[in-house]
Amino acid sequence: MPVLSAENPAGAPSVKHSEVGLAERVVEHRLSNGLQLLMVERHQTPVVSCIIAYKVGGVNEQPGMTGVAHLYEHLAFKGTQTIGTKDYRREVAVLRQMDQAWSDLRKERDKGPDADPDKLTAYEKRFRDLERESETYVVPNEVGEIYERNGAVGLNATTGKDLTRYVVSLPANRLELWAAIESDRMAHAVLREFYKEKNVVLEERRLRYENSPSGRLYEAFLSAAFSAHPYGMPVIGWTSDLEALSRAQTETFFRTYYGPGNAVIAIMGDIDPRATIRLMERYFGAIPMQPPPPAVVTIEPDQAGERRAEVEFEAEPSVLIGYHRPALDHPDDAVFDVIDSLLSGGRSSRLYKTLVKEKQRAVNVSTSTGVPGARYPNLFMIQATPRFPHTPNELETAIYAELDRLKTEPVQPRELQKGLNNLDADRIRSLDSNSGLASHLSYFQAVAGTWRYLPENRERIARVKAEDVSRVARQYFVKSNRVVATLVKKGKD
Amino acid sequence: MAGRVFIFMVALLISHAGVSPVLAADPRTMTFPPVEFHPPAAERVVLENGMVLYLLDDHELPLVRLHAMIRTGSVYEPADKIGLAGLTGMGMRSGGSPSILGDALDEELEFMAAEMSSLIGQDAGFASLDVLKKDFDRGLALFADMLMHPAFPQDKLDLAKLQAFEGIRRRNDNPAGIAGRQFAIRVYGADHPLARESTVETIGRITRDDLIAFHSAYYHPNAVILSVSGDFKKREMIEKIRRAFANWPPGKQDLPPLPPIDDALKPSVHLIEKDISQTHLRIGHLGIRQDDPDYFAVTLLDDILGNGGFRSRLFKEVRTRQGLAYSVGSIFTVGNLERGLFIVYGETKAPSTHQAISAIEREINRIRTEPITEEDLRLAKESFLNSFVFSFSNSAQIANRQASLEYYGLPPDYLERFRDRVVGVTREEIRAVAQKHLRPEALIILAVGRPDRFDQPLSSFGSVNVIPLEPFREPAGTSPSR
Repeated sequence: MPVLSAENPAGAPSVKHSEVGLAERVVEHRLSNGLQLLMVERHQTPVVSCIIAYKVGGVNEQPGMTGVAHLYEHLAFKGTQTIGTKDYRREVAVLRQMDQAWSDLRKERDKGPDADPDKLTAYEKRFRDLERESETYVVPNEVGEIYERNGAVGLNATTGKDLTRYVVSLPANRLELWAAIESDRMAHAVLREFYKEKNVVLEERRLRYENSPSGRLYEAFLSAAFSAHPYGMPVIGWTSDLEALSRAQTETFFRTYYGPGNAVIAIMGDIDPRATIRLMERYFGAIPMQPPPPAVVTIEPDQAGERRAEVEFEAEPSVLIGYHRPALDHPDDAVFDVIDSLLSGGRSSRLYKTLVKEKQRAVNVSTSTGVPGARYPNLFMIQATPRFPHTPNELETAIYAELDRLKTEPVQPRELQKGLNNLDADRIRSLDSNSGLASHLSYFQAVAGTWRYLPENRERIARVKAEDVSRVARQYFVKSNRVVATLVKKGKD
Repeated sequence: MAGRVFIFMVALLISHAGVSPVLAADPRTMTFPPVEFHPPAAERVVLENGMVLYLLDDHELPLVRLHAMIRTGSVYEPADKIGLAGLTGMGMRSGGSPSILGDALDEELEFMAAEMSSLIGQDAGFASLDVLKKDFDRGLALFADMLMHPAFPQDKLDLAKLQAFEGIRRRNDNPAGIAGRQFAIRVYGADHPLARESTVETIGRITRDDLIAFHSAYYHPNAVILSVSGDFKKREMIEKIRRAFANWPPGKQDLPPLPPIDDALKPSVHLIEKDISQTHLRIGHLGIRQDDPDYFAVTLLDDILGNGGFRSRLFKEVRTRQGLAYSVGSIFTVGNLERGLFIVYGETKAPSTHQAISAIEREINRIRTEPITEEDLRLAKESFLNSFVFSFSNSAQIANRQASLEYYGLPPDYLERFRDRVVGVTREEIRAVAQKHLRPEALIILAVGRPDRFDQPLSSFGSVNVIPLEPFREPAGTSPSR
């Protein structure tokens, strides 16, 4: 494949990629086991970004097992029956004994004051001894080490409400390495160093949520917003659930949700799509099809009245405001995108102009649509930070006044056009990053059912009219549909 | 061998129905040739007024990007007006120019989906424009106006100062911020330009005249290195930029040297009390300059110790093996004007604070006393060399780096030299730089958290200096009753 030279002697581009839309550049392929593959060629640099997204996340969890999707994501880096072990046969025997020892210890501990202290000591010792023994078989962090040795950058994974993604960028000639590791992880993952990794996740929880003012507030906000649907539970998991999770439960979760039919691969960069399809067939093709995972059945009932939550913390105040809205596939979805951009798209947007520049009550304000996920009915969220001496309450008043304006004053065509201009420019800019575009494509394929959501939604947004905006504002931005969470400084009344 | 293992697994995992696939190849033993790649280079041009341009055209997308570095920095602001550089840099963008004031500028830029910014950091000023090709001429006019003729209207300065006060009020909300700022103060001293912080008083003193004076003292074309990348024709672009800045006369700059840093070792233990369940740790001391001949070997040392992702020792020991932290690692910050910092960072639950500090200390000691293995060195080198291609991911990155190397006085082939030096580094060199640049006997240990919940008192590492968090003092003239 010839590499596009940036120093073209004639000064004229050899390929006018900019004139070719995204829709023409995505190559799709589906394996017979259901695995979906998306590819975009881009030959500027001999590198490739690879994402494998699984349609699983916090939304698939049950009370008592919160955090299992994210914990598994951590364990996916512990390796397989081949990678990360010196002797898998011996190792797995010790792992099973360890699970038994942990379960005995856990049962005794759960007796609380009635627990037998001698038994506790004995179980604890047995568990620690086995844990030490199991470590002798481990090649620590071998997945990461193989990737890094091969020049990987941006090796990471994220777990959200709707999906879990594993991302990495590699020199383009290492694509086979990626296929070998990821197919092995899909088929033969081994949950080793399980109990230690739980402690790492508990530290992550302390870092991002317990001791972070914004993390704490967000957790309380979601809990208040959803009384039934799993969108109300934290992806990182409650501490007690994480402590109680067993290796067997986590493995069952993996077996249920990590089949090939539940996965999307997006590969963007210096590749030949035909050769890439052959490669993926070779590595992933033999992985057996799996039954589809169970559906999320819970539907959040209508909210009958405003909900408010307060978090006390050693930090200055801030506020989160949410309104329930329908899922991504609802016709009003594009209208919320437009409202999002009207309210907080840049310094000339409505909320920034009013709250930060004119009234000067806030240091920042932002909105997001699709919180905490988008596949199921979710929230349109407004975040604002007051500037002393102004209070979160004063910000609420000013924000509600702006939302009321949306209901009554028709939006001017120029304001709608500005939003569309930015959407189009963002789409061009997103093509500049292999990892960024791979991330977009895999997200919409997994959550919206097709990556074509991207171009289609652009057309839906272009058709949104002033009266759609006012209708949606009137319908959803009402007090009884609202959730408000406020961070207040500890020790202040 | 692999085949036997898989057959065994099918029997074990009965819930995973079907035939287990056979691995096509073992990723542990796969080998690949090095990536052959000859990245393009930006062309350097000097304009009559002294402005340096780096141009790299790339016609993939209809975008043009400008990125300027301006020779200035907060290190040059007066000690009684800390915050002046920051307010000047932001004010250039937020206030607009006499021909288009800030709010109208925001509106126009956002309508054409252009992004324009200006800021001044510790040792450089930055200005950038990211615009669609079709809007480039207008974008360039606005960009040139921002650099040459900022209006600095009083109302935008007043607002920026109010925002700065709020930033100071919120400074101690997040433990990571407290730990980072306090560590720099412990190393450089609270008054040194590399560590000092703005206060309500220093911000309060800053006037519009100060912004005008700071801008005119440093913003001259001969102080600007501008990189240009994207979809354009080079000759035409040079002409456009020449015209846009034609009336900007060169000027003289006064860049006083930084006050000397006190490089005496300062072994010490510091505690900042905050009611949180996790202790934030910063452990380290003064680091090295980027032009230090040891810099290359130190980069590999740092990679092996704690900056190398999954394979680094701190990650393996403190996170993977002991389960004590989610984020843990080390970094030698880039020392441009002065020596940088060597920092080990980590966060752990209060009851394992002592255990985590001890584990970190052990790793710092171990890499000095035990020679690293050939395997350690090979891994670090392969990771560096195989990921080298990502230094050339797009034309903006290439052009901006060339500009940055010139700004910091580094040779144009710095990156290539770096690569060649890394190839040649030996275990003995790593050991020598570890001995010289890691000083476990002189660590500054800083903890933010709740000492009443620590596993062992911090005093086991030395006598503890308790740093009080200063309560926020209201700026004069603000009434809290409103």
